[in-house]
Amino acid sequence: MKILVDKNTNVLVQGITGRLGALQTKLMLDYGTKIVAGVTPGKGGQTQFNVPVYDSVAEAMSHHQIDASVVYVPAPFVEEAVFEAVDAGVSFLVIITDWVPLHSELKIKAYASVKGVRYVGPNTPGIMIPGQTSLGMISDSAVMPGNVAIVSRSGSLSDEVAAHLSEKGIGQSLVVGIGGDPVVGMSMVDFLKLLKEDERTKGAVIVGEIGGTVEEEVAAYIETEFGKPAVAFVAGRSAPPNRVMGHAGAIITGGRGTAQSKIAAFQKAGVKVAKTLWEIPLLVKEWA
Amino acid sequence: MRLYEYEGKEIFTRAGIPVPQGALVRTANEAWGEATRLDKQMVVKAQILGGGRGLAGGIKVAETAEQAGKIAQKLLTTKLKESHVDCLLVEEKLDIAREVYMSITVDRSRGGIVAMVSAEGGVAIEEVAKRNPNKIFSFLINPLYGLRGYEAINLVRQIGLGGEHLTTSARILSRLYQAFISCDARLIEVNPLVITSEGEMVAADARVEIDDNSLFKHPELQERHLQRIDNVWDREAVSGGVNYVDLEGNIAVMANGAGLAMALLDMVKDGGGSPACFLETGGGLSKQRMKNGVRLLLKKAKADPRIKVILVMARMMISPPDDVAEGLMEAIREVEVNTPVVAVMRGRKPYEQRAKELLKDSGVPIYSDLQEGIRQSIKLAKRED
Repeated sequence: MKILVDKNTNVLVQGITGRLGALQTKLMLDYGTKIVAGVTPGKGGQTQFNVPVYDSVAEAMSHHQIDASVVYVPAPFVEEAVFEAVDAGVSFLVIITDWVPLHSELKIKAYASVKGVRYVGPNTPGIMIPGQTSLGMISDSAVMPGNVAIVSRSGSLSDEVAAHLSEKGIGQSLVVGIGGDPVVGMSMVDFLKLLKEDERTKGAVIVGEIGGTVEEEVAAYIETEFGKPAVAFVAGRSAPPNRVMGHAGAIITGGRGTAQSKIAAFQKAGVKVAKTLWEIPLLVKEWA
Repeated sequence: MRLYEYEGKEIFTRAGIPVPQGALVRTANEAWGEATRLDKQMVVKAQILGGGRGLAGGIKVAETAEQAGKIAQKLLTTKLKESHVDCLLVEEKLDIAREVYMSITVDRSRGGIVAMVSAEGGVAIEEVAKRNPNKIFSFLINPLYGLRGYEAINLVRQIGLGGEHLTTSARILSRLYQAFISCDARLIEVNPLVITSEGEMVAADARVEIDDNSLFKHPELQERHLQRIDNVWDREAVSGGVNYVDLEGNIAVMANGAGLAMALLDMVKDGGGSPACFLETGGGLSKQRMKNGVRLLLKKAKADPRIKVILVMARMMISPPDDVAEGLMEAIREVEVNTPVVAVMRGRKPYEQRAKELLKDSGVPIYSDLQEGIRQSIKLAKRED
């Protein structure tokens, strides 16, 4: 069974000729991602690393079977790019771009929900199925194929957690960051629902951080539904309250969203909480 | 970005939402002049950004122009909640019959925009939320369709408004929503929305917060945003595109990505170290951000001898190692300071090796083992102390 994408997934890159888009396309191709087309308005007819570039998503769709799109266009144009892809019939998107305007995120969320389209991000490192495909920027040398899933809120921290598991010989079935912004597409619970049905996945590592109530919701789901073991890590235990630390998400308000409330929720759900990154593989080894 | 009350009221006026008569003043003399023009009972309101302004003595009632001038003189020369007061609003004092509450904001757990109204407004709104949550009503707005007039009416009906008050308040709510959209707000709040004894509805206060990621669409606000940061380090951080938070200890901690930087902070603390500050550069680390971040910490260390070690962690996912190394070296060359820098460079294996090679003569110890890097910086901080 595949978790959203696999080695046969045909991928489109929106913003393929931009600085980041080009750099990323090269790395994804090197990893084996099946990138069949790219889009940059005005650059139709060119190629990027032998990948044909089109002026619009609709045009790319008329020439290729496309299962997913990775969006690298600059923040001011993300809303336009996502609406274009959804209208052209793309059914799964990964929106890498950060600093996306809040109102764009709200409109994307509403439109995707109307059209029944699933997406990850914005402000995400992407989704990777080790050994098969990578839609985003998770590093190839951090991961190895296996049966532990990493579901994270953060970008570089998901990469770091994957590296800690791989260094101890624990491979992964999925590495995904859901995005660090207040309004994102697929939630952690959405991913856990897919992992519950995935025979290959033995259990999950949940990488959370202070702010919001995502981790509390995850803990409740694991306690009642998940049926597989999990280990959690919560970043920001020593962060001072009421300060924004980068992610708009990391704002502590009142008693909700603190590291303490998240850790308590996980413990109540029977999920072991690692204090350091190098403790994560030790706890995972108990069941993986 | 949070706006001042007077800026919020300018937005309200443009949107057709009634606000009290009055004007913004910057001197006691101007306050006296505006009070003379108004020629009625007034309130003088200090313009600061923090909450709890009324309780701190920032809102005063004046009966005469002379009194308004005196109050203004006093407010403009004292600090309020640790902020200098640069300007004041001098406004007519409303004759209040009833106070309600209205806001438009983003509910992140529902992933949408919500309009909220409460039958009771005023300073105790959070108390109402706790004590009497059933007095607060909300409606989830679909941003693709906006807020329809009948939806606004159905919402404000629930707080017991009828007749002309019903249509007026629904119109105000619709205009608040339009203002929320046009200025890319993350919050617009009217607390209280006053119903005067003559039956008029007036926004007595205005709280507006703009989405920081949308400031590029509002260049005039973007400029003000930077000017308003008092702290020199915060200002350097904002203009350098990094996030910076001052803490108490002696190890300056930096990493790319908020989650990673927070995790590093926790592990330094757990290891017996004491973080002096937190700096994060965003996940995809560019040469410029690396340089801006390290430079800020070096300058800070130069100004503040409390800082004994600078611990920099780079998780190189897409950032080419040449950029990361060059950014680090350029910052070190620019700021002369003896504070030792410890770097943890991790990422794609060839990237790790390349970064190590580039920095081998830099005098900066480079670790690819995280635990080891943290341990070394704690040890160094203790020795230097």
